[in-house]
Amino acid sequence: MRSTEGSRLRGLWALLLAAGLLLPLGGSALAQQPIKIGASLSLTGTYAKLGNNQHRGYQLCAKHVNEKGGVLGRKVEFVLYDDRSDPQTGVRLYERLITQDKVDLVMGPYSSAISEAVANVNERYKMPMVAPMAATTAIFKKGRKFIFMVQSPAEVYLEGLIDVAAKRGLKTAAFVYEDTLFPKATVVAPGGSVDLAKKKGIEVVFVEGYPKGNTDFSAILTKIRAANPDVFGAATYFDDAVAITRQMKELNVNPKLYGVTVGGDLPKFYELLGKNAEFVYGATQWESTLPYPGAKEFTEAHHKEFPGADFSYHTAGGYAGCQILVEAVKRAGSLDGEKIRAEILKMDFDSVYGGFKVEEDGFQVSHKMVMFQWQDGKKVIVWPENLAEGKPRFPTPPWGKRE
Amino acid sequence: MTTVTGAMLAQVVVSGLLAGSLYALVALGLALIFGVMRVINIAHGTLLMLGSYATYWWFTYLGWNPYLSLPAAMGLLFLGGVHDPVDEKPLEKRAPELSSLLLTFGISISLVNLAQLAWTSDLRSVEFLTGSYLLGPVAFSKARLVGFAFALGITVLAFLFLGRTKLGKAIRATAQSREVAMVCGINVGRIHLLTFGVASALAAAGGSLVSVIVAIQPEMGQVWTFKSFLVIVLGGAGNYPGALLGGLLLGLVEQLSSLYLTTQVSEAIAYLLLVVVLLIRPTGLLGGRT
Amino acid sequence: MKRLGPALLALGLLAWLALWPLWASGYRVRFMLELFMWVALAQSWNLISGLTGYVSFGHVAFYGTGAYTAGILILRADWPWPLAVLAGGVTAPILALLIGYPCLRLKGPYFAIAMLGLNEVMRVVVSYFDGLTGGGLGLSLPTLHASVPVYYAMGATALGATILAFAIITSRFGLRLMSIREDEVAAEAMGIDTSRYKLYAFLLSAVAPGIAGGLFARDQGYIEPISVFPLLTTITMIVMCLFGGKGTIFGPVLGAVLLSVFQELVWARFLYVHQVLFGVIIVAVVLFMPKGILGVLQERYRLPRTI
Repeated sequence: MRSTEGSRLRGLWALLLAAGLLLPLGGSALAQQPIKIGASLSLTGTYAKLGNNQHRGYQLCAKHVNEKGGVLGRKVEFVLYDDRSDPQTGVRLYERLITQDKVDLVMGPYSSAISEAVANVNERYKMPMVAPMAATTAIFKKGRKFIFMVQSPAEVYLEGLIDVAAKRGLKTAAFVYEDTLFPKATVVAPGGSVDLAKKKGIEVVFVEGYPKGNTDFSAILTKIRAANPDVFGAATYFDDAVAITRQMKELNVNPKLYGVTVGGDLPKFYELLGKNAEFVYGATQWESTLPYPGAKEFTEAHHKEFPGADFSYHTAGGYAGCQILVEAVKRAGSLDGEKIRAEILKMDFDSVYGGFKVEEDGFQVSHKMVMFQWQDGKKVIVWPENLAEGKPRFPTPPWGKRE
Repeated sequence: MTTVTGAMLAQVVVSGLLAGSLYALVALGLALIFGVMRVINIAHGTLLMLGSYATYWWFTYLGWNPYLSLPAAMGLLFLGGVHDPVDEKPLEKRAPELSSLLLTFGISISLVNLAQLAWTSDLRSVEFLTGSYLLGPVAFSKARLVGFAFALGITVLAFLFLGRTKLGKAIRATAQSREVAMVCGINVGRIHLLTFGVASALAAAGGSLVSVIVAIQPEMGQVWTFKSFLVIVLGGAGNYPGALLGGLLLGLVEQLSSLYLTTQVSEAIAYLLLVVVLLIRPTGLLGGRT
Repeated sequence: MKRLGPALLALGLLAWLALWPLWASGYRVRFMLELFMWVALAQSWNLISGLTGYVSFGHVAFYGTGAYTAGILILRADWPWPLAVLAGGVTAPILALLIGYPCLRLKGPYFAIAMLGLNEVMRVVVSYFDGLTGGGLGLSLPTLHASVPVYYAMGATALGATILAFAIITSRFGLRLMSIREDEVAAEAMGIDTSRYKLYAFLLSAVAPGIAGGLFARDQGYIEPISVFPLLTTITMIVMCLFGGKGTIFGPVLGAVLLSVFQELVWARFLYVHQVLFGVIIVAVVLFMPKGILGVLQERYRLPRTI
């Protein structure tokens, strides 16, 4: 009957009134809602080790930013997914973060390959992405407007090795690379190791790629031994760096300078190879001993927050990338993609990671790569000279002549 | 391109044979499974991976010499293998290989991911034997040489087992004809399980030997599975001496093409060889069971 | 009147799918796009393996071929993407012809291994001709905001594959293929040219993956050899087809939908165990329901062969 309907309606009004009274409380809570930064990271799968380092970098950055009062009066909060080291999964995740989870900002994933794949997504939605782990030039030369580089590009990873070789008057060089995006770019891309060597007047006598997952380098090293180069540079990841070094000893390959790229800087490299890692040069984007603003404090804070955790330049890169984004948002005074982009393009900023300055297409021009050498179980930075802590032990003695 | 000298060739041939012996050992297990049970075991490489991890953990926590713990690894996987569910149900009669492929793939993917959950993808290695013996211009990697010796030894033992013992003969009989074997009073079901156990043990042995040479990580097995397939195609599925020769042949082909062409191409050549042999002589270069 | 009900339902479903991009978020559109892709793949596998019994274990090779064909044409020859994608649907069957002609002569397990090997060969060949394909560097297409058109194209592909399956299964051609599955020797004895029919089925089964691969390449914008020739894709399409019921028309569709939804629910929440669960599902499907859902229903309720 009518009365029941009426009472129902009245109940509804009461509810609405109550909601209306409570709304202001909800409203003020809304204003305190944290800024959501979305990202997918390789927490499992092949890149898990370094992806987790990057993860800790992001976490620590968020913590420090919030301790200093947040950004635009709000705290920051990361919304993270695991892309399982797979580019395709990464693409789906960023699409989800942006269109479904509706994050305010995004940060980049681990590795050049995944960054390349997801760059199309944030580009489509005009959300600026600082990609701390993308080191391949090609990513930034495709006319994209919303992706920004933090690392030095792959092409210069062996620059230190080549420079030292040239300064010592060495004449011939050999390079090998794993046949995937990053190592291949290091050696054969324009401006890569082959070009750099030629520019310095060093003759490149041998270049060869090997498939990912290759474990036996006998044939390739036999050819190198026959070519007898003064310098040998290997664009690697971790396990191939270890395998090549080991087999060089077995096959008695003795260049005067031998360097690797990714993986040579990990403590595990020395752990696995022991004394055989001595004299090996490695390229690194960052070491905690470098005189960058806040680098020391960052390192100490990390060890305090994550005791015993693995620590590498990926941690620092993640931290710095987040630092850079936050700084850009501060300067822009808003979360608008175009405004943030404009600020990033203007920045000439020194983070814990070193210099940050990008060109119009997002390509990094200020950050410097450093080269170290394993000496007595420690990584000693030997290049470039203005950042060096020590001198290279040159030449690398032949395997048979070490005790 | 560098000109190839005799010394280089010798070096590469040696490397090829050393690597090939390991391929042969592992492939023998796969050949047994296929010959006896008509099962295509995609999980074979995963068994090897488990053997590697077993050796690694025993070495790291108990300090066991990886070569001495090898029998233990074999034993462990043997026990695991005889409980395998692959043969439990009479699978699709019309496409038995589909069922076995999928089943072993399912098992493989579960085990690999469990390994990743348990041990993470961190690369590990058994640091036991490094360096090489030099014989003139040719270097023999110590770890690979010892691996070669063990691989050959175990393979020979396996042949003796198959050829001389009663159980071995029962296995070969079942491979030849399941029905006739049953008529002869052989418990075919039990033979199948036993075969799987032996094959797992062989894979584990390979894993043990390999743990000293390459990086250990959960996905390391896939490459070994593919290579084992190559070997049994080359040597003839179900042909056991064929597995040995096929393994050595594969090792040589890989290294030689790497030397004369490039290392990238050597991968392609191996697979091309697979397709070519399948088309021209599907029963393998030495002829085997079909 | 009896036909009207299901027909209206089908039309309603199609309309809903067509209007989906208008109200669904970008992420949900992507989900449906991938679902369409799996339907197309599972159906295509159905055509060769479900009907003839020849287990194509490297079917993803056609997918990868389509992806690279489209990618290369878009990037290096500036073809418009719809045309490039259709070209993928042409090169894949050509590959099928080259491979099928010799390989279909092989017996069961050898055919399976040969297809497996084929997939790896394709992957390595693509890596090798890196001047054209970028090799390990991968192929990167110019950014295009084309997710919605690709959605429709993929939907059309899935629909096309299903219609093709319908046409074949309800035809005499289909019957002949199934007779090959049941007993190839008897079929030959009855005068069916099994080699020719197998080849036709094989060629037809390569078209949909070729197109789907091309669309995938356009949508992702970046492909590398390992990502378009993975064994897991073959296995997934096989499991979807089996789960729904191979040899039926709607089995692959059902399997693709159910497994996609399952993956979506599990993958986001239980990341770490997702793959393990998938492995368990595969084992369960093989051991407990090799005929698939529709297969079981067909037997139990005497449903027609053509569903």
